[in-house]
Amino acid sequence: MLISRRVMTSGMALGLAVLCGFGSGAAAADKEDLKVMQLPIRTDGPKSLDPVEGSTTYDNMACAQFYETLMTNKYASPMEMEPLLLSEMPTTEDGGTTWHFTLKEGVYFHDNECFPGGKGRAITPDDVFYSIKRLADDEHKLENWWLLDGTILGFNEYKDAQNAAEEFDYDASVPGFRKINDREFEIVLTKPVYRFLYILGMFQTSVVSREAVEMYGKDFARNPVGTGPFILDTWVPKQSLTADRNPNYHEVFYPDRDQWSREDKRARLHRAAGKQVPFVDRVEFTMFIEDQPMWLEFNAGNLGYSQVPEDYFQEAFDRSSKELKEDYLRKGMRPHANKLLDFTFRGFNMEDELLGGYTTEKRALRRAISYAIDLDEINETFYSGRRIVYDGPIPPGLDGHPEDGYSEAAARGRNIAKAREMLAEAGYPDGEGLPPIRFYTSQNAINNAVAEMVKRQLDEVNIKFDPVFMDFSTLIEAINKKKAPMFGFAWSSDYPDGENNLALFYGPNEAPGSNHYNYKRPEYDALYEKVLTMGPSDERTAIYAQMRDMILDDCAYVGGMARERFYLVSPWLLNCKPTERYYGWFKYLDVDDSKRE
Amino acid sequence: MWTYIVRRTLYNIPVFLAIVFILMLALRVNDPVSAQLGKNAGPEQIRLLTEEMGLDQPFIVQYGVFLKKLVTLDFSERSWDQGFPVSEMIFKAVPPSMAITIPTLTITATIAICVGLVSAFNRGKAVDRLLMFIAVIGMSISVLVYIILGQYFGAYVPSESIDGWPFEVAVDASAGESALFFFQPAHWVSFCMLPVIINCVVALGYDTRFYRAVMVEESAKDYIRTAKAKGASTQRVMFVHMLKNAMIPIITRIMISLPFVITGSILIEVFFGIPGMGRTLINAINSKDFPVIQTFTALFAALFIASNILTDVLYAMVDPRVRLS
Repeated sequence: MLISRRVMTSGMALGLAVLCGFGSGAAAADKEDLKVMQLPIRTDGPKSLDPVEGSTTYDNMACAQFYETLMTNKYASPMEMEPLLLSEMPTTEDGGTTWHFTLKEGVYFHDNECFPGGKGRAITPDDVFYSIKRLADDEHKLENWWLLDGTILGFNEYKDAQNAAEEFDYDASVPGFRKINDREFEIVLTKPVYRFLYILGMFQTSVVSREAVEMYGKDFARNPVGTGPFILDTWVPKQSLTADRNPNYHEVFYPDRDQWSREDKRARLHRAAGKQVPFVDRVEFTMFIEDQPMWLEFNAGNLGYSQVPEDYFQEAFDRSSKELKEDYLRKGMRPHANKLLDFTFRGFNMEDELLGGYTTEKRALRRAISYAIDLDEINETFYSGRRIVYDGPIPPGLDGHPEDGYSEAAARGRNIAKAREMLAEAGYPDGEGLPPIRFYTSQNAINNAVAEMVKRQLDEVNIKFDPVFMDFSTLIEAINKKKAPMFGFAWSSDYPDGENNLALFYGPNEAPGSNHYNYKRPEYDALYEKVLTMGPSDERTAIYAQMRDMILDDCAYVGGMARERFYLVSPWLLNCKPTERYYGWFKYLDVDDSKRE
Repeated sequence: MWTYIVRRTLYNIPVFLAIVFILMLALRVNDPVSAQLGKNAGPEQIRLLTEEMGLDQPFIVQYGVFLKKLVTLDFSERSWDQGFPVSEMIFKAVPPSMAITIPTLTITATIAICVGLVSAFNRGKAVDRLLMFIAVIGMSISVLVYIILGQYFGAYVPSESIDGWPFEVAVDASAGESALFFFQPAHWVSFCMLPVIINCVVALGYDTRFYRAVMVEESAKDYIRTAKAKGASTQRVMFVHMLKNAMIPIITRIMISLPFVITGSILIEVFFGIPGMGRTLINAINSKDFPVIQTFTALFAALFIASNILTDVLYAMVDPRVRLS
């Protein structure tokens, strides 16, 4: 037996040594003089590489590497827009109904076999119209139709007619699309809709090649052909995505020095100013469903940046000061914090028999619940105080967000006396006769613990809290079917305008639309329709505040909170200022292989 | 034998149909449409997607359509979540799973049988107690603990201090689309060896105790005493007489594990980023991707049924007393 064991051990050791030698040899052979950056995608990544079928952050992150929109966010200041496929920002001479666009010269689709000779051709206004028309085709399940519903002249009629027809005719005309020549075109809206410009910066409106769509058919979702800085190499769903530099990428330069803030300059983000992008030859994304492997891979220097998962925050940062710890600083890691345009809340179904309604009593009951809940305690206990608690649905940084986050109309907790007073006004003095409040939320460790805390807080005013945990899709289903009396949910703004969040309370958007509260107040709806046509102004901000306070007064939800996301950037990844407002910024990144360990 | 196989296969058809029926029924308790649509779902979108998914059809029609696809081996239906044909997903997911499970099964069975033999032969002695103590400790710890500690101390920490440390924390984008990537020796060592070690450590506890119990039972039988009395060497008694007679439970154990060679190991694959069947299935469950869940589960059920029939056939081959009738 001893001999056998010895033989076996030696054999295994020899085998391992041989294989290891083989491994390093192969790895060395793989190394070329290419600039390659490895980046993570937290969770399982995109579900489609077709922009009109995309909706998630990860669809956006992937599509933005291959496709481009007419306009985009500025890398140095992501809340602002700039032209991308246009030579200049669109102009209007009639107050925002008719918009004039001029396409940039020298923008070509990726070289692909769908084109004659495999050579990508220049984009034209027809490509823009075709790409937008795809949003109306019910073959794509109209997943993003909401973006342009009722916005472009004759587009709704076109959608209805084509979907009713035997075959969707992309050549049929839409009155709102007017081609002037091969570079210029106009889009006519039904009325001035300010958000239209933001929508033209959203990845779902990216310009795609008709030839590719027609050639690949259903497989177009995995064969992206756009004008973006990278060309897809491989996509293994839920695993990895690799892309190579587009050698024919049009002229896009790294933001000028004067666009960067002083803080950004201190982080040396301006050093590539004026240079043509992209800088790297290849980008490799790996999807991580679990946080631990992502965090370890990042710490081992194998990833360019990483979000800092909640569970690892205190490993990297000091809990109270939020300063990066010494050992991470020594490694040359750079921290970055992003305030997200987030609105997390506990909503009420305004059609619920117990909690809904607009009478004084119903309103008082919701306010009693709101007064009794202490969001600051939740923030401190579960998020190390890193969330921003604020009143109203408009997140920090946008017009309409209340000064210092406080509004007098809000029933901000914790105020036990007011909670008891409201409870009595609602007809439930000291909670007597009040049935348990059923609260639907998605199942995860933090939600479970938070629900326990809320239960304890509400118990103090004798409100019985009955949380119901479910998976996220079941939660959405319950909310869509108006079955959830109270529910935990979150909203990330699609574009940086408070109007996007105020739309959550617009009556016609009721469930299964985005108005999950089924909040309906005619005067609110009238104001919303008014602000849709208004650009940024003091008048519009005042209306936003009025609408915000209307919702707070009715207490359609308890909340809200916004997340602050922390990132760490490896020393070898240059020019990195992570933002979640858009994902076309990977082209600005560069790598310095000499700084890899 | 062939008559037996055909008869057993026929007997199992109702079982298989019932599994598929119950599965499809269970899946439809919740509506998958909401899971597929984003936060801006409208009634028209919900209607369109419901129609496209075929969920507007009566359940029995959906059941019939799926059965027809199974019978004709038509796995061309596309994943709702990814848009890929299910057949392609199976084809790509099986090899990475096998790169983990085949070595795991082979190593675990070999070591566990040997340890079981040694332990049984030394029953009650210090060696036996020590081996069983280690086995109990091994099986008492959650697989998640092994994975988390394994990734940290088996890959991350040594790679920080030892140049050329072969194990990686997780599969990176270099794996690409090649189904055979994980069978290349260098890649197998980098990405699969640590998961295999962890899998083996987890499985060894259970298997060793099982094989020891089998061997203990055999070692008390008369023929062992007779063999010893006739002067057979220890090795001969253990590896020829005892092992041969213990083959039926050993085969049962191995055959039960055989379908897992295809189905993979969910947690290991998720944490180590191995794009195998387990990871694919759990992703499909999370996104309520019915075509993938249904096809994978039907495939797993078929594998289990096939392995059961094969087990019976093997019984007859190793033990002449067993008759296939």
